[in-house]
Amino acid sequence: MTTDFGLFVSTDTTKCTGCKACEIACFQSHNSKRNKVGKTIGTITTPVTPKLYVTVIETASMPIQCKHCENSPCKAVCKQGAIIRFGQQVVVDESKCIGCKDCLVACPFGAIALLPYYDKGQPIKQVGSTENKVAASKCDLCLDDPDGPACVRNCPNEALRVSDINEDRKKKNIAAAEALMVVNAGVPERRLLS
Amino acid sequence: MTTVIAIDDKLCTGCQECSKVCPNLAIEGLPHQPQKINETKCVMCGQCVQKCKSYVSVAEHGFGSHAKIRKERGLPETVVEPLFAAYNVTHLDEVLRALEDPKVETWVQSAPAVRVGIAEDFGAPLGTLAAGKLAAGLRRLGFDKVFDVNYAADVTIMEEGSELIDRVTNKGLLPMFTSCCPAWVRYLELNYPELRHHLSTTKSPQQIQGALLKTYGAKTQKVEAKKIFSVSIMPCTCKQYESSRPEMVDSGYRDVDVVITVRELAYLLKLKGIDFLSLPDEKYDLPMGDYTGAAEIFGVTGGVMEAALRTGYELITGQAIPAVDIKAARGSDGYREADIQVGDLTLKIGIVTGLKNVKPVMEALKAGKLDRHFVEVMTCPAGCVTGGGQPKLVLDKDFDEAYQNRAAATYAHDLELPIRKSHENPSVKKLYDTFLKKPLGEESHKLLHTTYCGDAKSHHSH
Repeated sequence: MTTDFGLFVSTDTTKCTGCKACEIACFQSHNSKRNKVGKTIGTITTPVTPKLYVTVIETASMPIQCKHCENSPCKAVCKQGAIIRFGQQVVVDESKCIGCKDCLVACPFGAIALLPYYDKGQPIKQVGSTENKVAASKCDLCLDDPDGPACVRNCPNEALRVSDINEDRKKKNIAAAEALMVVNAGVPERRLLS
Repeated sequence: MTTVIAIDDKLCTGCQECSKVCPNLAIEGLPHQPQKINETKCVMCGQCVQKCKSYVSVAEHGFGSHAKIRKERGLPETVVEPLFAAYNVTHLDEVLRALEDPKVETWVQSAPAVRVGIAEDFGAPLGTLAAGKLAAGLRRLGFDKVFDVNYAADVTIMEEGSELIDRVTNKGLLPMFTSCCPAWVRYLELNYPELRHHLSTTKSPQQIQGALLKTYGAKTQKVEAKKIFSVSIMPCTCKQYESSRPEMVDSGYRDVDVVITVRELAYLLKLKGIDFLSLPDEKYDLPMGDYTGAAEIFGVTGGVMEAALRTGYELITGQAIPAVDIKAARGSDGYREADIQVGDLTLKIGIVTGLKNVKPVMEALKAGKLDRHFVEVMTCPAGCVTGGGQPKLVLDKDFDEAYQNRAAATYAHDLELPIRKSHENPSVKKLYDTFLKKPLGEESHKLLHTTYCGDAKSHHSH
């Protein structure tokens, strides 16, 4: 799919139950190679570090995840160059992240969390230190996965979809035009006015 | 009754995905609020434990939360895998204490489905058969005797098969239902207590093995029964409940002292630093680890039926069954029926898998419209291979692969075993020759049969 704007995952809140299958699928998709996460829970040896965050409020639930903003404030504030644009998507290079939290402050949705950073089942250490490193963790739209975002594929309620906002807007335009055509055809004054 | 399945209200998001899989509407609560298990309705199948994805999260609950909750649940420090809101209460500490006590004789038995599940939690492909490694692993853990539930499954067939023939030929109560699934037994006791006499009085393989270990086993191994600590490894969360039922003391002791799940066995092996996939293949101890292919297939829906037919055919007709593989019993539909020709008798069978599918069958029975002789019921979606205590899948979409591979590995093990009919198990023959004398005999009645709904044991099995 080609698009001028970054794609993002949107939620049908009438379908989302808040079960966190998306978070688990996200974690597995990003860690099956890097941290040997297999098909059963017993193969997981690191903390679960998703890139989207299910949020439950009194009347609804939905995963909050990066909207891949066009004027992305997180990217603008990152002094390490750890947040970059890859194609149209906004992604974090965890190896460059220093955990300064500027992106967390800048993101108006809270779509970024600082989480432990593991490789080969072991915590990555801070440079020149024995202490464990953290890194900004946010949706990268599963860029490495040809099947697309794992959250979308694993939602038991089919509540998630990849939104191409331009395509969506065009579809809405067409739907509106079809509706207005009917309305306008039935209004005699409109014909008199023209 | 002690709690078997619980939901941690600190972790539950109230998604109610678990209540969709609960077969007895035992999970209560409002959407987006923590759910509660109604223990008076819970059948302890653990399908909610398999389903729950609401995990202890660094992002939501903080960095120390995993260690804190792991400790609250009594799990060893080596358990690093994610913990979820719905869980089964562990009994690992009791097993560890027994293993560390030199005065205690620790005897272990594992269910058929354990050997097609356990390797998965060490990264092996879903449904990897690891019967030999399982025996080796249990030995490395320090169990004094590595026996097997499958031996008792062969005994179950001798008893339950004979019971069926007795009911069919002597106009006993029909249909007879299998009784090896404790969640099904509890479901019937809760919802259809008036139909309890349809349940086979034969105990489950676990409880048969439990009763035999501390009687026949103690005698043949020359060990005092009171010194034996009997541990059972199960793909099932409900077996702990079954073992703690007040009547399960026919050996004069608690027949099975403690039950742990396949997942807990993986915790135990990891705690002891045992590299499971590198273990050699070893054999189970004799005589109570000797088993046939018929016993192994108990782990898959239709397997108890097939095992019973392999033996029942011969008991009724005096001739070997023409085809050992009974394809009519296999499959994964929630309810299936078949008519099997056994000599002059057309044996009408039914198989239920997934406890939600049993309700119409029970309603048909109540209405006098269930024209069957023998019905197998398993609570879990495709039998014990998909049990609540099996390795938990990361993604729901892998369920079919897990079921198909575990079932295929089970049937492959059946095929590779030299003996595939329970009544041909030489160690079981010896048990009858030297101890039980005959199926449904006096000793069998005392040790291997039970009652339901708190009924007292009578001198009649039906």
